[in-house]
Amino acid sequence: MAPPPAVAAHGLSLGYGAGPALEGVHFEAAAGTTLCVLGPNGGGKTTLFRALIGDLRPLAGDVHVAGRPAYLAQTERTRLDFPVSALDVALMGSLASGRWWLPPRRAERHAALAALERVGLAAQADTLFGELSGGQRRRALLARALTQDAAVLLLDEPFAGVDPASAELMTAVFDELRSEGRTLLVSTHDVESARSFDLVLCLNGLQVAFGAPGESLGREVLETTYGSDLVILEEAPERPVRAITVQHHEH
Amino acid sequence: MILVYSVGMDLAAIPSPVELIELPATQIALAELVLLAVAGGLLGAFVVLRRLAFFSHAVGTATFPGLVVADATGFSATVAGLCVAVGYAGGVERASHTGRAPGDTATGLLLVAALAGGIILASDVFESGAAVDRLLFGTAIGLDGGDLALSGVAALLAVAGTVLLGRAWTAGGFDSVSAPLLGVPARRADLLLLLLVALSAVAALPAVGALLVTSIFVVPAAVARLFTRDMRGLLLWSMAVAAAQGTLGLYLSIWLDVPPGPAVAVLGAGVYALCATGIGARSRLPGAEAA
Repeated sequence: MAPPPAVAAHGLSLGYGAGPALEGVHFEAAAGTTLCVLGPNGGGKTTLFRALIGDLRPLAGDVHVAGRPAYLAQTERTRLDFPVSALDVALMGSLASGRWWLPPRRAERHAALAALERVGLAAQADTLFGELSGGQRRRALLARALTQDAAVLLLDEPFAGVDPASAELMTAVFDELRSEGRTLLVSTHDVESARSFDLVLCLNGLQVAFGAPGESLGREVLETTYGSDLVILEEAPERPVRAITVQHHEH
Repeated sequence: MILVYSVGMDLAAIPSPVELIELPATQIALAELVLLAVAGGLLGAFVVLRRLAFFSHAVGTATFPGLVVADATGFSATVAGLCVAVGYAGGVERASHTGRAPGDTATGLLLVAALAGGIILASDVFESGAAVDRLLFGTAIGLDGGDLALSGVAALLAVAGTVLLGRAWTAGGFDSVSAPLLGVPARRADLLLLLLVALSAVAALPAVGALLVTSIFVVPAAVARLFTRDMRGLLLWSMAVAAAQGTLGLYLSIWLDVPPGPAVAVLGAGVYALCATGIGARSRLPGAEAA
């Protein structure tokens, strides 16, 4: 008998009141799998993540996540005016141990410091969260996820607005997490980086494709996913299509 | 003496600070304000951080009509205040988790309705007269053991809540989306915070009145927030400022013969204005950035 998937959605339809914003989503990812969620702005990536963390009730179908996932939100949902340091934020991950009513133990403090070290923020452990740069704040939240020690990590556009140095550090950590056998769901616009994942899920208001990158990331799927936002860089027989996307932000 | 006449005061009339601990009535008042400083200081830190300042004001003011009815009918003011405050806190918590949070506009309307309803009840229905001032602004003289006991319970629960729920309140306020994923019972913790604020507000009613309850929650924590960079410091300084504000406010109320509620509130607001202005001026000094 096959083990239950770490993350799954079956016949999933999601919305915010005026009809579904995302529908027809059906996928399963086994434990230890890395899954890339591709799609344009408004395509339903964040909506899917909100359903996976239990923040949005499905209109139809169901979702399943093994255990309590760690979540790195796309937009900054955190309060920058809170008097908490990077270490305090990393320590919040230890609340997941179930002892939330007790002060953190020494071992938990060491784990939080080690997580900060891992994301390159050891020197900023005592710096207020609100005084960190945007990239450093994402890394502090990643340290919180590491301290949480979750088997499933949901990372919604983790590189959006992040400086190259932070992106490089975070990529290295994701590689380590992958080698540790954790399940990673990462949403991104970067078609080329999606090829390094085990699975790809393409969304554009509905599920366009799901499967291994070699099978799923063809020209037709990418054009259906991104429409006119897709720019084909290179296309040759027997080789994967090389493409980038142009993102439009409404202000 | 020239100075005395020029400011229109008689220095001989300035009471000795020792009077605060010599007279039985002021002893009780002082003990009451110190107990409220513990509850108000600790919970106030979370009230300010969680942006619940308007809630803390509303929950006190919402009790006013109930207090007028209780005062006129002989019903327990504490029970009437608790029923209204706890009901209001529960309603706010429920609305905030169903996407129908009352918001500032609805809270403002509630404040107007509570004050207007209370005034109509006091003037036209029960003819409460001078009792209205006491209900709105409190009085230090006339507090009894029951008032002290209620404030003691509020202080104890505030300490217990901060120790046991402080991490949950901090994590939930910092990132409300992720807190439940960390296993924090964020919704229940938030409800307990609102209920503790409601209980402490009711405990503060006899001393500072329905209209000035928020002065013990918001002002000390707001002052402490100007000088502190971590939660522990914020909690400790918030209590210390609340205790100092209460003691000095009581002293001023005896000296100037005014109710303690307004004295505490005006003193606190003045200290906050001075500190905020001073910090603002200091940050504009040349080289302040480098420092």
